[in-house]
Amino acid sequence: MDSMKLSKDKLNSFVAILAEQKQLYMPQAEGETLKYSPVNAKVQPDLVFSNTAVPAKSVVFPQVETLFRYEVEKTDIKMPAGEEERVLLGVRPCDARAMSIVDNLFSWDVDDPYYLGKREKTIVVGLACQKPGVNCFCSSVGGGPASTEGLDVLLTDLGESFLVKPLTEKGEKLCQAAGEIFEEASSDDLNSAEKLHQEAAALISRSIETGGIPEKLPGLWESGIWKEVSNACLGCGICTFLCPTCHCFDIQDEIEGFEGRRCRMWDSCMFGEYTLHTSGHNPRPTRRERTRNRINHKYNYFVQKFDVIACVGCGRCISSCPVNIDIIEILQQVKEAQ
Amino acid sequence: MVDLEKMRTIAKETVSRDDVRYLIGWRQGTYGFRVSPHFMKGPEEAEKLIFSPLCSNNLATYLTLTEKLPVPRGEQPDSRKIAVMVKGCDSRAVVQQLIEKGIERERVFVIGCPCEGVLDLKKVEEKFPGILSPVEVEWSGDKIIFTLPDGVKEVPKGEVLAKKCLSCRYPNPVMSDITLWDEVKSLGDGNYEDVKEMEEKNPQEKWSFWKDKFSSCIRCYSCRNVCPMCYCEDCVLDRLNPQWINRSANISENSAFQLARAFHLAGRCIECGECERVCPVDIPLMALNRKLAKEVREQYEFEPGLDPESKPFQSSYRPNDKEDFIL
Amino acid sequence: MCDNANPYVPYMATIEDTWYETLGDRCVKTFKVTLDDAAARDCWSHKPGQCAMVGLLGVGESMFCISCSPTEGDFLRFSIMRAGKNTQALHEQEIGDKITVRGPYGNNFPMDDWKGKHIITIGGGIGQAPLRPIVEYVKANLDQYAGLTMIYGARTSGDLCFKGEFEDMSKRDDLSCHMTIDLEEEGWNYNVGFVPTMLMDVNPSPENAIAITCGPPIMIRFVLENLKKLNFADEQIYTTLENRMKCGFGKCGRCNVGSLYVCKDGPVFSYATLKDVPEAFA
Repeated sequence: MDSMKLSKDKLNSFVAILAEQKQLYMPQAEGETLKYSPVNAKVQPDLVFSNTAVPAKSVVFPQVETLFRYEVEKTDIKMPAGEEERVLLGVRPCDARAMSIVDNLFSWDVDDPYYLGKREKTIVVGLACQKPGVNCFCSSVGGGPASTEGLDVLLTDLGESFLVKPLTEKGEKLCQAAGEIFEEASSDDLNSAEKLHQEAAALISRSIETGGIPEKLPGLWESGIWKEVSNACLGCGICTFLCPTCHCFDIQDEIEGFEGRRCRMWDSCMFGEYTLHTSGHNPRPTRRERTRNRINHKYNYFVQKFDVIACVGCGRCISSCPVNIDIIEILQQVKEAQ
Repeated sequence: MVDLEKMRTIAKETVSRDDVRYLIGWRQGTYGFRVSPHFMKGPEEAEKLIFSPLCSNNLATYLTLTEKLPVPRGEQPDSRKIAVMVKGCDSRAVVQQLIEKGIERERVFVIGCPCEGVLDLKKVEEKFPGILSPVEVEWSGDKIIFTLPDGVKEVPKGEVLAKKCLSCRYPNPVMSDITLWDEVKSLGDGNYEDVKEMEEKNPQEKWSFWKDKFSSCIRCYSCRNVCPMCYCEDCVLDRLNPQWINRSANISENSAFQLARAFHLAGRCIECGECERVCPVDIPLMALNRKLAKEVREQYEFEPGLDPESKPFQSSYRPNDKEDFIL
Repeated sequence: MCDNANPYVPYMATIEDTWYETLGDRCVKTFKVTLDDAAARDCWSHKPGQCAMVGLLGVGESMFCISCSPTEGDFLRFSIMRAGKNTQALHEQEIGDKITVRGPYGNNFPMDDWKGKHIITIGGGIGQAPLRPIVEYVKANLDQYAGLTMIYGARTSGDLCFKGEFEDMSKRDDLSCHMTIDLEEEGWNYNVGFVPTMLMDVNPSPENAIAITCGPPIMIRFVLENLKKLNFADEQIYTTLENRMKCGFGKCGRCNVGSLYVCKDGPVFSYATLKDVPEAFA
């Protein structure tokens, strides 16, 4: 299917069509925090933002998810309702790419029915990034401001209109359903989109040559850099919770009255209890080991298993860290370490 | 006046002492306006030290955050001092930790840095967005001077200073082993106007305000971990047996968490504002802490973190303590 | 789990029998359980070394090794030490009570590859639980193996699990069974001394042998050292690891040692693999 054009004055109608067909998710401010939330057809779409504070993973891998319910002291297990069809609108290419990276894990060997159930029913409409943040380094880890991996449709803001490029069968179906409101895109439109993509790529100011890092990390296991880079670490969950590729979770039973549920919730390898044994022994007793695991997981273990770095260079962990622990700086030290 | 030369000289001397293990100060961060805690092991690392309106981090946190690992058999525990640089508010954290016996006096060496107020990074990064190269920032009377890549900019303090600093009564360290430069004038009178504003709201308004804020909480625990007063080895939030607070992030559990946190800090919070600064979802946590601080001050005429010889607020009783507000 | 089943949803199981192996604060209780659902029983098949998530609705689940061999019958056994929230609640369960089970998880001891070899198990305390299925499996197929030597120790005689079974086995001529406790005790007729020392006393030949060890970290360290002294090659030494786990099938993240997930790539590892894994003995 060829690219099309959506005039900005028809964005409202486009959004309304999407919202009528499926559950639509868009970046919404909750308090002062931008995150993906369900919206209805009347929403005033606002696609001008740098990136959401909470990544789009929260739609397919919510912070808390009910696995099943039961009544206290009974043995019947009640499964949650099936997944609804959903559209995610305005996703940055880095967040979309993160989902395709995390797909590897959740479909490895044993399928994860909750994550994959949501993924299969989700259509991801991305918006090419035109104003990368100061800490964006997507192009260093295999992505880019107009990367299409993980997306079903890519929008590019041409000023007065969006260029709409369906990328998958799911994306084509979605666009066909909204057919009449699109215009034909001219070759000029395609060229200006291409130009905008290149301009955005040129605006990315931070970078790291990642080649060789996965191979080098095992040899740095006992290196002093881990103590050095984790000295200031507070051991909080910001870097992992806000990371679009971090996917670790805890499972807990929660009871309210006679209603019980087993649910899973985001967990963080930066927390001490994450690996704490019942005996009191902790195989990762300090922030040094936890930081080392975080970097190794992204840049070594995940690469060994799935042949891709589990980092999309969105820069959230850098921007949100209260003590300026900077993953690019850590990787730089890894490269320089002897 | 900030004297970096002196700061670095003193740091070199301090860190070279046999009875000092390391020194914690501030250094320029990796980009823009960011600053990072600087852990100095030797005098050669002194050149990286800075002190500027960007030095928000309350380094007293690291006195209690250090992980206590078992001492290997045959070795003695390291009993050398940790040297720490403190602003006025930070020094109150050290004092409060001393009051609570969270740290021992002879294990710390306190280097005082009178402070004319630190910046609210959100305001600054909004004003000067997208700056990657490290920026130098200085105090100059009632202005802040930014040396940006495209030139020097002066900004009135009021526009960029952190809210906590605008009403700060303790810009000078209340205790230190050495103070680096002359004392500065306090910036505010410590009034609680902001708290009064909140108090005037009716319960529905208050709840709708906090419900909105607490809903955003992602339970990353950065507010707890950054807090110099949150150093319980066995935190009620982490406990599984019994489990007081579920790990699910939802309005009920988030409220329980945030309120438990605030109450545990009543009469202990020294108002450094770190919890609010680090919150990735912008919950105005100081509004809760300041409400409790105001109550403690008004009801008991007590202010934490001022006198190392005083007793902790919760464990001191005076016959004339007010009790008319107790249900 | 059965194909197509949701891997997070446990089977309900009934406690058929339960008894204490050891007493005290950290007592060990064995549960013999049967899955309630006939279809579940049909598709369940476990091998020595595998684990399962055992729990209670409303409390939670923890990972335990399955402490019986499939050769023993159509049931499962778990020997559980009372330690934390889940195990305390499990210990309160009695015959007829319902618990949840999901699994089996992880790899297994390569019992087929070991055929024709002399099997040596070296266990300490509750660490005998994952070794017990090997013992039972070899006992049931003794003609297929060159022999079975068991070394098992605990702090006191009261800390020995499966004591009755060991007493029976030590009476047999076709098995080599060595029980030991750390200090002398009145009425104790077996060995006294630490497990690693016991190993040197038994002095098994590495010729055509496989040694499997499990127990407290400090014991494992010295057992490994002594096995090297006895000229066992890295490939002849096996152990089984445990770490905190939540899912059991490689999703939740926490059980990794280096790039290996204990729940999927383990829990059974040869020392040849583990010696290069940095966190393996952390």
